Amino acid sequence: MSVDYRVIGKPIPRTDARAKVLGQAKYGDDFSLPRMVFGKALRSAHPNARIRSVEVSRARSHRGVIAVMTAQDIPGENSIGPIIKDQPVLCHDFVRYTGDAIALVAAETEQAAEEALTLIEVEYEVLTPVFDPLKAMEPGAPVVHSGGNIGTHMKVRRGDVESAFQSAAAVVERRFITPRVEHGYIEPEVAVVAPDLEGGFTVWSSTQYAHLDREEVSRVLGLSQSRVRVHQMVTGGGFGGKLNPHAQCYAALLAWKTGRPAKVRYFRDESLMASYKCHPYVIDMKVGASREGKLLVLEAQLVGNTGAYACQGRAVITKSVTHVSGVYYIPNIKADAYAVFTNAVPCGAMRGYGVPQATFALESMLDELAGRLGIDPVELRLRNALDTTLPNATGQILNASVPIKAMLGRAKVEVVALRQLVTQAPMGKVRGVGVGCSSRGIGSIRKASRSTAVVSLHPDGSATVACGHVDLGQGSDTMMSQVAAEELGVEVDRIRVVTNDTAISPDCESTSASRVTYLSGNAVKKAAAKVKQRVFDIVSRDVGCAPEQLRLLNGVVAYREQGIRLAEVFARHTLHVITDVAEYLPETTPPDPETGQGAPAGTFNFNVHAALVEVDEGTGRIQVLKYLALSDVGQALNPMAVNGQVFGGVMMGLGSALMEDVIVDNGVVNNTFSTYLIPTTCDLPLDFRIGVIEEPEPTGPFGAKGFAEGSLDPVGATIANAVSHAIGVRVHRLPLTSERVHELLRQRPLH
Amino acid sequence: MNDPQRVCLTLNGRVVEDTARSNETLVEFLRYRLGLTGTKEGCDTGDCGACTVSFDGKAVNSCLVLAVEADGADIRTVEGLGDAGQLHPLQQTFVDQGAVQCGFCTPGMMMAAKSLLDEQSNPSEDEIRLALAGNLCRCTGYVSIMSAVNAAGKMLRGGK
Repeated sequence: MSVDYRVIGKPIPRTDARAKVLGQAKYGDDFSLPRMVFGKALRSAHPNARIRSVEVSRARSHRGVIAVMTAQDIPGENSIGPIIKDQPVLCHDFVRYTGDAIALVAAETEQAAEEALTLIEVEYEVLTPVFDPLKAMEPGAPVVHSGGNIGTHMKVRRGDVESAFQSAAAVVERRFITPRVEHGYIEPEVAVVAPDLEGGFTVWSSTQYAHLDREEVSRVLGLSQSRVRVHQMVTGGGFGGKLNPHAQCYAALLAWKTGRPAKVRYFRDESLMASYKCHPYVIDMKVGASREGKLLVLEAQLVGNTGAYACQGRAVITKSVTHVSGVYYIPNIKADAYAVFTNAVPCGAMRGYGVPQATFALESMLDELAGRLGIDPVELRLRNALDTTLPNATGQILNASVPIKAMLGRAKVEVVALRQLVTQAPMGKVRGVGVGCSSRGIGSIRKASRSTAVVSLHPDGSATVACGHVDLGQGSDTMMSQVAAEELGVEVDRIRVVTNDTAISPDCESTSASRVTYLSGNAVKKAAAKVKQRVFDIVSRDVGCAPEQLRLLNGVVAYREQGIRLAEVFARHTLHVITDVAEYLPETTPPDPETGQGAPAGTFNFNVHAALVEVDEGTGRIQVLKYLALSDVGQALNPMAVNGQVFGGVMMGLGSALMEDVIVDNGVVNNTFSTYLIPTTCDLPLDFRIGVIEEPEPTGPFGAKGFAEGSLDPVGATIANAVSHAIGVRVHRLPLTSERVHELLRQRPLH
Repeated sequence: MNDPQRVCLTLNGRVVEDTARSNETLVEFLRYRLGLTGTKEGCDTGDCGACTVSFDGKAVNSCLVLAVEADGADIRTVEGLGDAGQLHPLQQTFVDQGAVQCGFCTPGMMMAAKSLLDEQSNPSEDEIRLALAGNLCRCTGYVSIMSAVNAAGKMLRGGK
C-alpha cells in the first residue's frame, strides 16, 4: 500500500544547495573576526615518551606571538573524550602517540604561530612504543594506560558453542585483517572562539555534535555549559570524524588566555596525523554449518586497535560484536571484542562504526562455507537470513521491516546475470562475482539516545523547527523540513530548521549512527503533530466541529468545505506563536555486559550488494565493472538524498576495500592526499546502480529508518568475495592494493 | 623575504589591485586578503582540488600558484560563475541533480567542470571523469556530479 504524501518521498533539492553553489555558504574557515589571533598546537614527536620539560620562553618572545600555553595554564579540566575523558587536552607527563598536543601558541598570523612552534623545546624520555594490538594484549607489553592496555571487552553469548561445533558438518576458521581508515572529509578541522560580553564564550565550528563542543569547551574552561554557545558552521563532511572537539578546545583556551577571538584550523597533514581514524581490526572467526547449509555456530574474537586513547572505542567494538552474525540467524554464538590501547593514532567513530569489519569476516566465511558445502553462495544466505520470527546476535526479534529475504531474492537474479559475464574477460584478466550482506541497528547500541524537537507555528502558516541534530552535508535539515512540512500542510520553503545553535536547538546527541532520520524525524513529526492538534482543538471549539474533521493546508484550517486562516485564529485568541516540544526515545534494552543480549535498536537497516570485478593478472589492479547496492530505507523521505548517501557510502567502502590504509610507523606516514589515496572519478564502477527497498518501518517517521552508514557496511565483503571468485584464492585482508593482489595471485595453485 | 608585492589581476571580470607576501598562495590571497571565501582550501598540496579556480581559462589548483604569479592574469572563481538571479548552468544542474552534499568540493568541482565545458561542451563520460579526477569528493560518490556536468553541457549547447 503506498501512501500519498505531499512532500515526503519527493526528490526535493537540499535547502542549502543554492548558497553552496554560489560560494556563499559559510564554513568555519570562511569566518573571521576583528582582532582575531591564530592558534597552532605543538604535537609530540614521539609515540611514547615521558615529558621531562617544556621550555616556551623563546616561543613567547617570538615576533607576533601573543600567548603560549601548556597544561598548567588550563583553567578547567585538562581532559577530553566522547565517552571516557582519558585524553589530555595538553599533555603534561606522558605523550601516547605521535601527534599528542603539548602546547598551544596564539599569534597575530598563522605563520608567526607556526614559527613559534619550532622554538618550543620539549625534553622527552623516549619509551618503547607498542603498535600491534595483539602484542599490546600480551603480558609485559609497553603500558599505554595505567589501567592496562585492554580498554574494553564486550561479549556475546548465545547457546552452546562447543557442542554445536561437534555437530557441524563443515567448519571454517580464519583470521581477517582490516585497514585503519581516514574519514577524508574535504574540509579539515576548524574552530573560531570569541569571548562574549558576559564572561562566556561563543564557538563557531565544524562539528558533528555542537552540544559536545559546548560540553567539552565549558569543562576545559571551567565554565557552566550555559556560558558557552556553539554555532555549527556549514560543515564540510564528517563521516564520524568530527565528534571530538580538539580544535574547539584549543581555540577556546587561546581566546580565554588572550581575551581575543581565536581561530584554529588544521592543515591536511595535521588532520591526517593527529585526528582519530577508523579502527583497524584483527578478527579470528570460526563458523560451523550443517550439511543442508544451516548456520549452527559462530565463535569470534574481534580486536580493534583503538590507539592511544579510548575515543569511541568502547561503543565501536560493542557495535561490532552485537552485529557479528550479520543478517543471519545463528543459534550458538560466542564472541569477544576488545578495544586495545596502542601508541598509534587514536581510532574512534567512522561511518560503519565497527560493522564493516565484522561484515567482511562473516561474509567471507559464508562464501567459503558455500564452497565447502557445494551450495550457491546466495542460496546459502537465503537459507539463513533473518525474518520477523528469528533473533539476531543480541536475541532481538524484529517485528517488521526485515526485507532481507526479498532483497536476496532480487540479488540472486542479478548475480545469475553477472556470472554470465565472468567468462568474457579479456586476455590477461580474470573476472569474479561477489555478494555481501549487512544489517545495522539504527542509533546507539551501547546505550539509548533520545531526540528532542521544538516546533513553532507562526500566524502565516510557516514554522520554525529547533532540533539539535546538525547537518554535515547529508541533507538532514532538508529532510526535517519535509517531515514538518508534511505534518503542517505547507511547502518545504515555509519551514525553517535550526539545528546549528546550542542556544536554540535542543541537544539530540550526535549526528551519527544513522540516527537523525529515525530519531529526530520522529521527534519533529510528533512536535509538529502536537502543534497542529492545538490548532485543531481551538478551531473545533470556535466553529463547533470535531477536531478530526479539520485539515491544515497552506496556513488555512479547512472545515465543512470552509476555511479559516491561521492568522485569524491567532488574532482571535491573542496568540503570537503556537509552540510545542516532543521527544523520541525508542524502546530499547542495551546489550547485557556479560552476554550481549538485549534489544539494542529500535529498528535495523539491511543491505545486499553484488559486484562484478576484473583483476589484471599482470598488475594486480582491480576494476569494478558492475556494482549493485540494494538498500533498505523503510520509506525514502527524499530519494535524491537517499541516492547521494548510498552512492557516497559505496564509494567510501570501495576506498577501504581497494586502496585506503593509514600506515603508522611511529607516526602516520601517509599524511597527504597524494600518499593516502581516496577514490576519484576514475575509480567509479563502470556500471553503478542502486536499488532502494521500501518496506515501511512502523515506528519510523512516515515509515522511514536510517540507512546511510549501511551503504558502506558490505562493500569490503562484496569486493573481497568477488576478487576471491576471480582469482581462486581467498582474500583475508583489506585493502586489496595491487601489491596485495599480486601476492594472492602468486598463491594460486599451478595448473 | 616576505616583503609585500603589488598584484594586479582581473578577478571575475573586474580589475583588482592589492599586495601579497611573496610566499602567499593565490588561494590565501583570494580568501584572506580579498575575502572571496567561495574558493575552498582542503589540502594545500594540490591533491584535493577544492581550491580550483580558472586561471586564464584553465583550471588550476590555486594553492599551488603564488599570488604574485597571478599578476596580470584573468582569474575566475565560483563567485564569478553566476549569480543568485541567474545561476550558471553548472550551478543549476548541481542543485537539481543532488550533486551538492557538504558542498566543500563544489566550487572547485564546478570550476574544473567549467574549464572542461568551455573546451568541449559535449564531453564523453570518460572526458568528464578525467577532467574531474583531480577533484576529491567524499560525500556523493561522484555519480550525481557526473550527471550534473553532463546536464550542464546539454544546457550550454542549447538543449534542455
